[in-house]
Amino acid sequence: MVGPGIITGTVDNDATGVTGYALAGSQFGYDLLWVLIVTAICLAAIQEMVARMGTVTGKGLSDLIRERFGVAPTLAVMALLFLANAATTVAEFAGIAGPAQLLFGEAARYIAIPIAAFIVWFLVLRGSFRLVERLLLLLSLAFISYIISAFLAHPDWGQVARHTVIPTFHLTAPFLLIFVTIVGTTITPWMAFFQQSNVADKGLHPDDLPLERVDTYTGILALNLVAFFIIVATGATIFAHHVHVDPADPSAFAKIATSLTPLAGKYAEQLFAFGLLNASLMAASVLPLSTTYAITEAFGWERGIDKSFREAPAFITIYTTMIVLGAVIALIPGAPLALITNLPNILNGVMLPLLLPILMLLANDKRVMGRYANTRLFNVFSTLVLIFLSLMTVMFLASFFIPKLFS
Amino acid sequence: MTDPFPRVTGVILKGNRKLRSIDWAVVRSWDNKELSLKLEESVLQPHARLDTELWLARQIMDKQIVDMDGRRVVRVNDLQLSQVEGSLLLVGVDIGTRGLARRVGLEGLGRRLTSMAGRDWPQKLISWEAVDPVKSDVNSVKLRIAHTKLAKLHPADIADIVNELSPEDRSAVFAALDDEKAADTLEEIDEPQMQASILERLDLERASDILEAMAPDEVADLLADMPPERAQELLQKMEDDEAEDVEELLNYREDTAGGLMTTEYVAVQHTLTASQAIDRLRELEPDAESVYYVYVVDEEEHLLGVLSLRDLIVVKPETMIRDFMIKNVISVGLDASPRDIGEVMEKYNLLAVPVVDEPNRIQGIVTVDDVMERVMPGRVGQRRRRIF
Repeated sequence: MVGPGIITGTVDNDATGVTGYALAGSQFGYDLLWVLIVTAICLAAIQEMVARMGTVTGKGLSDLIRERFGVAPTLAVMALLFLANAATTVAEFAGIAGPAQLLFGEAARYIAIPIAAFIVWFLVLRGSFRLVERLLLLLSLAFISYIISAFLAHPDWGQVARHTVIPTFHLTAPFLLIFVTIVGTTITPWMAFFQQSNVADKGLHPDDLPLERVDTYTGILALNLVAFFIIVATGATIFAHHVHVDPADPSAFAKIATSLTPLAGKYAEQLFAFGLLNASLMAASVLPLSTTYAITEAFGWERGIDKSFREAPAFITIYTTMIVLGAVIALIPGAPLALITNLPNILNGVMLPLLLPILMLLANDKRVMGRYANTRLFNVFSTLVLIFLSLMTVMFLASFFIPKLFS
Repeated sequence: MTDPFPRVTGVILKGNRKLRSIDWAVVRSWDNKELSLKLEESVLQPHARLDTELWLARQIMDKQIVDMDGRRVVRVNDLQLSQVEGSLLLVGVDIGTRGLARRVGLEGLGRRLTSMAGRDWPQKLISWEAVDPVKSDVNSVKLRIAHTKLAKLHPADIADIVNELSPEDRSAVFAALDDEKAADTLEEIDEPQMQASILERLDLERASDILEAMAPDEVADLLADMPPERAQELLQKMEDDEAEDVEELLNYREDTAGGLMTTEYVAVQHTLTASQAIDRLRELEPDAESVYYVYVVDEEEHLLGVLSLRDLIVVKPETMIRDFMIKNVISVGLDASPRDIGEVMEKYNLLAVPVVDEPNRIQGIVTVDDVMERVMPGRVGQRRRRIF
């Protein structure tokens, strides 16, 4: 009914993603719309590969890495993945704090984060994943508010279309920063692990491959459509009205929220907060889950959310640890929030250019993939993707560690 | 004879991006770094791979281990290979963190850290006998045991493995076990000499810790097979209570054939000829008092007959010893008292009498002066040298 690709795509619209797109639209109007085409192509290449590997081998990505490359590379990948995903989980819980404060006032974070952590933990381990999946999709309907808002704001559709197809580029620090942030939050290593585990768990057969491809591309399309309309909605409102949004300013959230005014009127803030809350909750449940799947696969421990602690102690322990760790760090008063939101991007950015060659080696291995191995054309294509993403990483790291470079 | 453990039949070499396989038979020696061959590279023949052969690196290493009930347990972290009588055998799979650490070259560091913390870092091995790679597909390795039994299985299982290992590997396995498990495993090993040799290779502190965890009678048996000085040291290191129990047992044993006997005796295989037996004697260089008689045994040390040195010399060199040995050997049981032994010796006019266990395997000999000391103490003004 609903495939792993659609779930993965939906979850990728997390707190950092939504904030990133909204900032892009607020600061630069439609100028960054074309980037979505690029990220869609990159994602399509990566996610198709993992979906294919999961379908053909019936194994997760960690399974394949361990069996093909042995202990040392597996340990390295797992350590990076754990760090990156733990950092992202912290960011998601911090993302829950933002909207909660917007809705209920300053102290809300100290109540909202523990409650959110418990809900996430309980739903996944004590509910069924089917329920969680449906709930996630239902909640993600909140994103439709951006589509409606975008239409109600009456944007210049000719401009929108032009900027979508023709790239615009400014050699300024804020533009470059938002550019690499969008790419970084959209294309992440955990998505590859999550989708392949999910596909493997579903026990798909190679005959299901065409259907699984449709599922994958649909997920990416849904993800980027939402991103597209967030940019259009913010571009047609905030940018069009020349409201200056500084991402470092605490009022940025409230300002961005006004993009929903065409739909929600004076309730725009509430609607925006609700959407952001959903996005964070989703990611806060799926990221630890994906990480836990990846690690238990790598070491061959029993796994599955329907297992009891007795049956799968490692699985439950790692999942619980990640959620508790994420929530507790996000709760620390005066935690360096800038670092918290940037750390996942740095780690993901470093990991992606390392992971992609591993993916390509696996997908090219005839022993693993048989006749479903990569074609030569696909390899040329994914090499281009790799070069592009490596460039992005270098740019992002440069912008973070040598801020003067872009000013 | 080593059926349960598969033999390494070939090696796959990687070079110039090509794989080639060679027979294990052409391997001269190997260690962690190097594999040296008996032949020149140019004359190497490719090893013909059979379907029944397992490619360890591809088909076993890192594979998912699934128990009888289909539950995932862990992955194959490493393999335990062991050299036994010239062949290299796969004796077990390593499923512990030590195996993982070894693969990334951190085992030494890990051992130092755990020992600094005063902890053991046990090796977790599953005997190959409990593994079923045939019925499983190439994706996973199936166990013949349920997951819950895994922990319980260890001591006997490890003992099986240990029996097949070289002395160095044996001690390495033991060094890795915790005291309790090491003690259990040691008790599972049937041969006292092997038990003793394992303990002798461990450091004193550790060996005495393991002994404390064992049953006192097992300890007594074990110490009896060790050099007296070492045994004395171990006893002193042990907790007083434990040591007392053991000493009591040892004292009690001293009044039996088992306590009196010496293990220095001369035994030869029944399949030898007279001249081969004499050659064997030259190799053994026995002490004067232990060569009163030459005992004849089978492969399992069952006492079959006895010869005198004179018999050996006067027959034709190519005569089989089983054809002229005396088959009705007078022997005593392990628990025979000194008085009984003395009577037997006097009755049959023997200088030494063999001591056998229940299935008639030779354990040692009691010589005439040992018995005399015991039966008539103080006569020569000296007591039997107390070992403990």
